[in-house]
Amino acid sequence: MRTALAIARKELSIYFTTPWAYAVFTAMAALTAFYFMDLLQAFNDVQGVARRVGWAQMSPDFNMYRNLTDGVVVELWGSVLVITLVVTPFLSMRLFAEEKRNRTFELLMTAPVRPIEIVLGKYLGGLGVISATLALTLVFPLLLSALGHSESGLALEWSTVLLGYGALLLWGATCMAVGLFISALTESQMLAAFLTFCVLLAWMLLGQVARRAEEPLRSALSYIACDLQLQGMIKGVLDAQSLVFFASVIGFSLFLTHRTVDAQRWA
Amino acid sequence: MPMIEVQHLTKRYRDRVAVDDLTFQVEAGEILGFLGPNGAGKSTTMKILTGFLPPSEGVVRVGGFDVEAQPLEVKRRIGYLPEMPPLYVEMTVRGYLRFVASLKGLSGSALKAELERVAALMGVTHVMDRVIQNLSKGYKQRVGIAQALLGSPPVLILDEPTEGLDPAQRAELRALIKGLAGKHTVILSTHILPEVTMTCQKVLIIHQGKMAAYDDISQLARIHGQAENASLEEVFIKLTAA
Repeated sequence: MRTALAIARKELSIYFTTPWAYAVFTAMAALTAFYFMDLLQAFNDVQGVARRVGWAQMSPDFNMYRNLTDGVVVELWGSVLVITLVVTPFLSMRLFAEEKRNRTFELLMTAPVRPIEIVLGKYLGGLGVISATLALTLVFPLLLSALGHSESGLALEWSTVLLGYGALLLWGATCMAVGLFISALTESQMLAAFLTFCVLLAWMLLGQVARRAEEPLRSALSYIACDLQLQGMIKGVLDAQSLVFFASVIGFSLFLTHRTVDAQRWA
Repeated sequence: MPMIEVQHLTKRYRDRVAVDDLTFQVEAGEILGFLGPNGAGKSTTMKILTGFLPPSEGVVRVGGFDVEAQPLEVKRRIGYLPEMPPLYVEMTVRGYLRFVASLKGLSGSALKAELERVAALMGVTHVMDRVIQNLSKGYKQRVGIAQALLGSPPVLILDEPTEGLDPAQRAELRALIKGLAGKHTVILSTHILPEVTMTCQKVLIIHQGKMAAYDDISQLARIHGQAENASLEEVFIKLTAA
């Protein structure tokens, strides 16, 4: 296990000495800020109208705009979910592909280290960098709670905000696991990033397909669609089923990665 | 008991035979020169010895442990320099060597002392805090060898270690490898024939995956050379001529 930690530490040190991590941080912060401003504007507009005509006159569709938590943060987390899908492939692509291209894979495989330790070490490193990326988005609810206010006193309902953030972390960890596996399949980082993006996007679009599908296909698709699985947690409802679902996807991806790394010797 | 034992080793890639029925052994403390033209199967054999590739047939034992059955035990006993030094070019020399040492299970003050020892041995002490990609080819090669020496493994497998070094560094490295004899068992592959004559006691020449010769250097020259003092070069060219 110590060697896995050594590998994780090495991954992090490479992430933070090359421009990649910083480029991804910037993209995450900039895109999230863009959505945040947009959501804040919409929130303000609706609040303005409500002050004039009163909430009773408004359509129930606007109910979420009654507080900052549902009107801004929950919506923001929904956008961060999609940004995470876009940026994670650029973080996960190098994990194995780069080692194989640079022939450093040979070093790992001839060191007295088990393949499982290599996989876990790499995954831990990936988790570290995706957590750092997502941590940047916490700035926005913090801003709201510092500057905003509501009738009940606290601007935000932190339990909802943090549960939604937990969903983001879970989703980031899942994207990273899928990306890790795909990175182990190829020597080309570009290909790894592209394939990971395609797989994650297709997975997210399943929710759309499910809406139009007929039963019983509809229930099956809704169950495996990642965005539908995440909906509850983002809105602040802890759902054990989603936790088990994503934990299984992560476990399965790591298992496949392990098999791939092990099988490399037999190529 | 020989330190390295190879019996009927064969490696096939689909229909191409890279290594064909190779049998040899290296006694503890011996330095074996591993010679052959490009594509003869030298690197493949070394990759199998280090557990990176599995053999198609045959048995490989290092320190009495079977490479396939107990890969970790074998890997613990081998320091390996592949053909291309496996460097993380974004890291500093110190960071890189510290990482490899921790993969080999070293930690704390033992790790620090080992880093200093190997860096001094390879003459990289003054570049320890430089980023690897800014180093010259010769220094990169030295860092690659330093990596193999970390933890002082009983067996060293060096695939063309003098590649990229200038003549003075070559001579230095040859002296270093010679100094390892007795304490370490070394397999050294090279194209440069005088290197073998100067450092190794025994030579294994392979050609198209097959063993062409395996003997003491003096014996080889006597058997295969036309004259009593035939050079290894003549023997090599004669054996590997189509």
